[in-house]
Amino acid sequence: MTTKTSLLKVILLGDGGVGKSSIMNRYVTNKFDAHLFHTIGVEFLNKDLEVDGHQVTLQIWDTAGQERFRSLRTPFYRGSDCCLLTFSVDDNQSFLNLGNWKKEFIYYADVKEPEKFPFIILGNKLDVTERQVSTEEAKQWCQENGDYPYYETSAKDATNVAVAFEEAVRRVLAMDERTDHLIPTDTVKLHRKPRSAATCCS
Amino acid sequence: MAAESVHKVLFEHEGVFIQPSSDEDAITQDLLVSGSLRIIDRDGEIIVEYRPLEDTVDPSNMLCAGKDSSSVVEWTQCPGDRSQQLLETQHSYETEWDMVNAVSFRKKPCTNGEGSMNHSHERSRWAFTFSVGDLRSITVREEGWTFLICKLKDSSSLPALHFHQGGSREFLDNLRRFALLTESLDDETCLLLSTPNKTLSQSFENLLDDNNFGIVHKFRKDPYVTTLGGFSKVTNYLFDALRGAEEQHQRPPEEVADLLGEVIPGLEINQQEEPGFEVITRIDLGTRPQVTRREPLSVEDWAKYQDPEGRMINISQLKQAIFKGGLYHAVRKEAWKFLLGYFPWDSTLEERKALQRTKTDEYFRMKLQWKSVSEEQERRNSRLRDYRSLIEKDVNRTDRTNRFYEGIDNPGLVLLHDILMTYCMFDFDLGYVQGMSDLLSPILYVMENEVDAFWCFVSFMDQMHQNFEEQMQGMKNQLIQLSLLLRLLDLVFWNYLESQDSGYLYFCFRWLLIRFKRELSFQDVLRLWEVMWTGLPCQNFHLLVCCAILDSEKQKIMEENFGFNEILKHINELSMKLDIEEILQKAEGICLQIKGCKDLPHSISGILGFDTNVCGSNAEDSGSPGPRPRQRQDACSNGHLRESSSHNSCSVAFIS
Repeated sequence: MTTKTSLLKVILLGDGGVGKSSIMNRYVTNKFDAHLFHTIGVEFLNKDLEVDGHQVTLQIWDTAGQERFRSLRTPFYRGSDCCLLTFSVDDNQSFLNLGNWKKEFIYYADVKEPEKFPFIILGNKLDVTERQVSTEEAKQWCQENGDYPYYETSAKDATNVAVAFEEAVRRVLAMDERTDHLIPTDTVKLHRKPRSAATCCS
Repeated sequence: MAAESVHKVLFEHEGVFIQPSSDEDAITQDLLVSGSLRIIDRDGEIIVEYRPLEDTVDPSNMLCAGKDSSSVVEWTQCPGDRSQQLLETQHSYETEWDMVNAVSFRKKPCTNGEGSMNHSHERSRWAFTFSVGDLRSITVREEGWTFLICKLKDSSSLPALHFHQGGSREFLDNLRRFALLTESLDDETCLLLSTPNKTLSQSFENLLDDNNFGIVHKFRKDPYVTTLGGFSKVTNYLFDALRGAEEQHQRPPEEVADLLGEVIPGLEINQQEEPGFEVITRIDLGTRPQVTRREPLSVEDWAKYQDPEGRMINISQLKQAIFKGGLYHAVRKEAWKFLLGYFPWDSTLEERKALQRTKTDEYFRMKLQWKSVSEEQERRNSRLRDYRSLIEKDVNRTDRTNRFYEGIDNPGLVLLHDILMTYCMFDFDLGYVQGMSDLLSPILYVMENEVDAFWCFVSFMDQMHQNFEEQMQGMKNQLIQLSLLLRLLDLVFWNYLESQDSGYLYFCFRWLLIRFKRELSFQDVLRLWEVMWTGLPCQNFHLLVCCAILDSEKQKIMEENFGFNEILKHINELSMKLDIEEILQKAEGICLQIKGCKDLPHSISGILGFDTNVCGSNAEDSGSPGPRPRQRQDACSNGHLRESSSHNSCSVAFIS
């Protein structure tokens, strides 16, 4: 196994106000500010970490969620290694919009094989008491849309935030492993079972 | 002789400099020779040729070059076309391009056109040629601009080629059609040449051989670090070759930039297909005048500008005073209503009271409209529901550390919410767009009154409306205008940004969308805005504010060789670290500096509103250029301003 440091680009997408910036800030600076400004334009933060012996620099991109900013947001999708689709468990609409976000990402990131791209789903604001989206509903969506990993997070009390980013890294590395071993021909199609990605890294 | 043989010019770029009398590494401000660089196919042999354009020049001549107006390309528009009107009547992307089509340009004859190959007369002693096959290596250096040091196989060295007007990448790109360029193992800025008799694609197969994989691997490992400085396209090129071989890798930011270029048409600065087609003008900006700021205007000062009935008098002097010093806070509540246009300057106190009564009724009528929508109704009105939902979220995330909005259930928050909701009823098509709460918050803070704040906000939104519209045309226009200004003011820096795929100035997005609201402390935002609302000292002063900030940051950005991502990050992180008085001082200085320039291109004077006579005598030249007008470059060897390339011409035309 190599010891190179890889730069991985992950991008947080989801409706306005679901907590994308808060998740990023919790993970990178371990701080939470309930009254953080909403994001204008795009921002990113870097974080170094080690996952399963790999040195990785995560470059986490955060965008403005409103529809209006789409044309100036989507160019930044290019080159993403992983996409964290985020909704808020107390906002059903943000959950219903996951599919649109996924579609927008695949289209603008120009993903070659969308069915293989590592998406991770985050249901944020686990700390709030009044949920509108149940865990079962969310899991079912993930199951039906590509067997994506699902994490219920709270940027406020730090629940599952680091775990989710680490999983993102694993997924990307697993993709890397697979393509490193398989010289790209059509044979990769034989290995499209999504689950295989999770195990080949251990 | 070249004139007799069969040759084809494959590449041509002007504005390449050599310094014959100095050594390559020390950039002494000695003699500068400017000329053009060509790649020529001469009977099948690929030749690189450098020939000086005209007289040798020294740097002092370069700085006062504006007197040679023959090299200035004048942009003209069809008669009757007023740029303002055009901007306002624009509804779609298509109309924008229609308009571009209607714009033409006039150019002066160039002294170095295609026929120059046959001109053997003025061949000065600085000309040189060599065969690509004799070339051993090219070293790429950055000094705010790119320069290339070519070494031949017989170990002789040629004068370094300084690309003061860009074009080094295009040169190398073209060279790569005939030779394989690989990074030297012990010096990453040094490119070794080999000229296999194979096609380019075969060359890349060589690259992927085991022997060469180290190089490739190095690129792959950290493509985001632009080790080659402005030379990133070469790495990207290699990268593209690898793409087929390995699916998972980082794509260069260049791709992002290319996409941004599609979003902001008219700024396709990196897409020069024909590098020869460049127009170069030289502008002498002169020195930047030093200006001083003054004390803010006090309540007593303000009262002096009022007649007994309450009309404001000496308005231009008053505006000048506000521009130079801003307002003490106690004056703001009244003065802002005038500055924003809610109160007419010549209204009496009585008239204003009557106006406020009317406006109060009107406000509450609209407020009642959304207030009286039942839950049932809202369920069937997705747009209202979406507006409300986002307003609720954003109000909770706007200036919450400000006393006026801090804590839970602060009345300030309710007012912010209600005014934004009422604005949705005032302009339902626009509704609520993120960023609007940032624009309202300082106004409400100053007004401390729901109705006054609403109408002042409406006035401010009149100015900012285009920023928030569906196509974000206001943002796109401003980015293009800013790019033009920056290019005039600082070609070296502009070229640097371009070399880092940042010529679109995307990193200024937040500055422009909400007029520096997030960049400055709350009190400084109040100061900047009141200064801007005077409309002084020129139109679009906020773009000069951008230039002033960038002027302070350019050294760091270039010295540390920031790439696309680092520039974005650096600019984002300037937030709350800026000094407003310093910025205003510099921005005003820049304005005076540009104003004092005689040979200002129309594009620039149009942006800043210095153009009172539009069109004038050049209007008859509004021929019929195609959708992408191309033009020969003008013969100007040492220009400070690259006015436009073939694509840029669209953007220049657009605002001229």
